[in-house]
Amino acid sequence: MTKVYSKSPDVVFRKIADEFVLVPIRKNAADLESIYALNEVGGRIWELIDGHRTTVEIHKTIADEFDVTPDEAEEDLQNFVKSLAETGSIKES
Amino acid sequence: MERVHSVPQETYTAFSNSIHSKVLEKNIPIDGTIELTQRCNLKCVQCYCCHDPSKRELSYDEICRILDEIAEAGCLWLLITGGEPLLRPDFLDIYMYAKKKGFLITLFTNATLVTPEILDHLSKYPPFSIEVSVYGATKEIYEKITGVTGSFESCMAGIKLILDRKLPLKLKTMAMALNHHEVSQMKEWSEGMGIEFRFDAMLHPKLTGLKDPWDVRLSPEDAVALDGSDQKKLDAWREVCKHPWEPSQNGRLFTCGAGKNSFHIDPYGYLRPCDMMRTFSYDLRKHSFREAWVEMCSAVSVEKAPGDYKCRGCKMTFICNQCPGWGFLENGDIYSISENMCDVAQLRARKFGAGSGNTKGGMSNEEEILSKAQR
Repeated sequence: MTKVYSKSPDVVFRKIADEFVLVPIRKNAADLESIYALNEVGGRIWELIDGHRTTVEIHKTIADEFDVTPDEAEEDLQNFVKSLAETGSIKES
Repeated sequence: MERVHSVPQETYTAFSNSIHSKVLEKNIPIDGTIELTQRCNLKCVQCYCCHDPSKRELSYDEICRILDEIAEAGCLWLLITGGEPLLRPDFLDIYMYAKKKGFLITLFTNATLVTPEILDHLSKYPPFSIEVSVYGATKEIYEKITGVTGSFESCMAGIKLILDRKLPLKLKTMAMALNHHEVSQMKEWSEGMGIEFRFDAMLHPKLTGLKDPWDVRLSPEDAVALDGSDQKKLDAWREVCKHPWEPSQNGRLFTCGAGKNSFHIDPYGYLRPCDMMRTFSYDLRKHSFREAWVEMCSAVSVEKAPGDYKCRGCKMTFICNQCPGWGFLENGDIYSISENMCDVAQLRARKFGAGSGNTKGGMSNEEEILSKAQR
């Protein structure tokens, strides 16, 4: 949980009408056939990933800002980060 | 809280429906079109575009500023079109700028000017979709429409280059008197390559109001017959006819998303509700997109259908594409209607199973249409 992640420059984050959308723009980044829709917490985690914050810090912010237990927040964060990494949207710094 | 899912990959349709329903009442301009130029290397007989050399096209910097602003305002789906957009020497720069803003880009092109260099770039940064108009299955018909010798070979070569790179391609045609006998052949050819194909027979006048495209327009009978000869269209229309919906009672003139969730920007920087509507014009060289959008939405939303508006209460609304844009282009009046569109809707209803077309909305009945056709 102490990892630091950076966003891929080949994925663009859009927030439209309270919807969070990840748009891959380069062929070898993630699955180009896909558009990724995030929920509110996912959108917030994406905003917090900046190449500096550790996952511990992000976890704390999520647990503070949303009505969720620390265990739930940790599980959600881990799953989400894993998925983002698998699609090439983020990488470990 | 909602639990965080592992980046949910929604199907496109579900995603599109979901986000469109969420922006519907918020006046978020989620669907945009930008015409990079009205110049074209072809001279198609049915084309509505009218290049005016006295007007100055938007520069690359001006387009980038507009792209920044429409992204900020919430545009997600962006259509890049023309004229022929590839005629702009800075096309790739504009495309890349738009791509990096995170738009889902559809590109309309005639494919005659695509080069390996352009397509290699598009392969790395793929558009959401490329749509190519083909005008005939044979060189003779294609070039009779485009008016340019050698354009058929250029188009075919362009399509091959696009296919070689496995870019997301769709083909389409405007069906008209010159090529309607080749529509099924074009469809067969396209679908044989696994490419989606569609056609449309509704030609409107040029943007200047000149009615030259009508010289090659199909009659309502031929247009509806063509739809009926295509199984996919036939099934679709029959399905539509099974679920007719009542016309809206809110009295609004604009019943589509134009000026509500969608917009059009011409090559000279004018924002409008749609490509057909040349009223409600806002100069983006003088105003920010947000200022112009708010003003346009407000102007469009207060437009009411007048008491004698022929579409008011018409029960054929569900099968008709009538809109103020058609009225404007055909008659120079947004409160008027396209008689041709009205006739087509009436015939569609009869042919595809929606019963009698006699309605309150002032639509002509079948006898009148046939009588017009005979004149």
